[in-house]
Amino acid sequence: MPDLSVSDQPGYSLVITGAPYVSQAPASAYDFCQALLDSGHRVDLVFLYGDGVHLASALNTPPSDETDWTGRWQTLSREHRITPVVCIASALRRGLLNEEEARRYQKPAANLAEGFTIAGLGEWVEAVNRSERVVYFHGAA
Amino acid sequence: MADRDRTGTLLIVIDNPPYGDWRGREALDMALSMAAFDQPVALLFRGEGVNWLRVRQKGAAIHQKTVSRNLGAARMFGVADIFADQGAMARFGIDQTEPGAELINADADFYNRFREVIQP
Amino acid sequence: MSNAAMSGPDTGSEAQPTLHLLNKAPSHPRFPVCLGSVGPEDHLLLIENAVVALTDNSVTLPPRTSAMMPDCQARGLADLVGSTVDLVTPAGMVALTDRFQRIISW
Repeated sequence: MPDLSVSDQPGYSLVITGAPYVSQAPASAYDFCQALLDSGHRVDLVFLYGDGVHLASALNTPPSDETDWTGRWQTLSREHRITPVVCIASALRRGLLNEEEARRYQKPAANLAEGFTIAGLGEWVEAVNRSERVVYFHGAA
Repeated sequence: MADRDRTGTLLIVIDNPPYGDWRGREALDMALSMAAFDQPVALLFRGEGVNWLRVRQKGAAIHQKTVSRNLGAARMFGVADIFADQGAMARFGIDQTEPGAELINADADFYNRFREVIQP
Repeated sequence: MSNAAMSGPDTGSEAQPTLHLLNKAPSHPRFPVCLGSVGPEDHLLLIENAVVALTDNSVTLPPRTSAMMPDCQARGLADLVGSTVDLVTPAGMVALTDRFQRIISW
């Protein structure tokens, strides 16, 4: 239930199309999402699209002195009960699979990180209609 | 104040050339999805993106699907309009397109006609 | 005029103020296109690579321009530009996105 004192604030969806360690997109979106939640905004959807899906790989292994963006997003999502959605078409193309897709395509492993889910672009379409604001975080190239 | 107009058309912009990367294909997928859910959506090709519209493409030569063919399906799927920036069309000497596109001047006034502009 | 043009709430004469989010460096082709699209009622927020534009003497930024403070700090720009441009925190970015119903990312 939204807090009455903040219920006139717009609700948001975030779309991340830039990959971690290639672009700043997942980091900028993280800081923005954190600020939204800190100020009591509703976050309807975090959608990973195109190269943005790489954020959801359980196999991302940055050096220990670099920020673990997959882990950061997992923590933020868990604390605020958000489940970032990974676009299925973008994900399969780039070798990002959950157990179900790995079985369906007879692949040797699944690598979708815990806390993320895979779905179609329909989720994004719905968010565009539902959220008062949709903010896109693109790559720099 | 929080109310955003949700009745207008969404504009998806493609501004980089075809085949060299997947950004345009994935932008087109966004447009097709919007259309599949009966949401009003249009496509704009601007800058180097107008090269998507050239005739006689043969993607098979580089082991890809021909993008103009994917694009040809867009109207059938319900994408309302395909726009091309006339300055960019002149810059690349494109006077014949496949599929057909409406020539416009992709300036701020043009963008302002749309409820939302998405430039993946 | 096309169907798309007719279906919007306005036809361009009364533009809805827009917040432009720009993350591209000045030499990126989208950079000048974005700057050319910023209307008199619009606001420009420079983030990521775009903040280097603040010290690029070949670039003229619109009067209503802000820049992400952490992006400026990271690049050693905050002290240089802090007096000439409005620097915003992520919370300040939220205040901007709350204010503008229309947001375009470049």
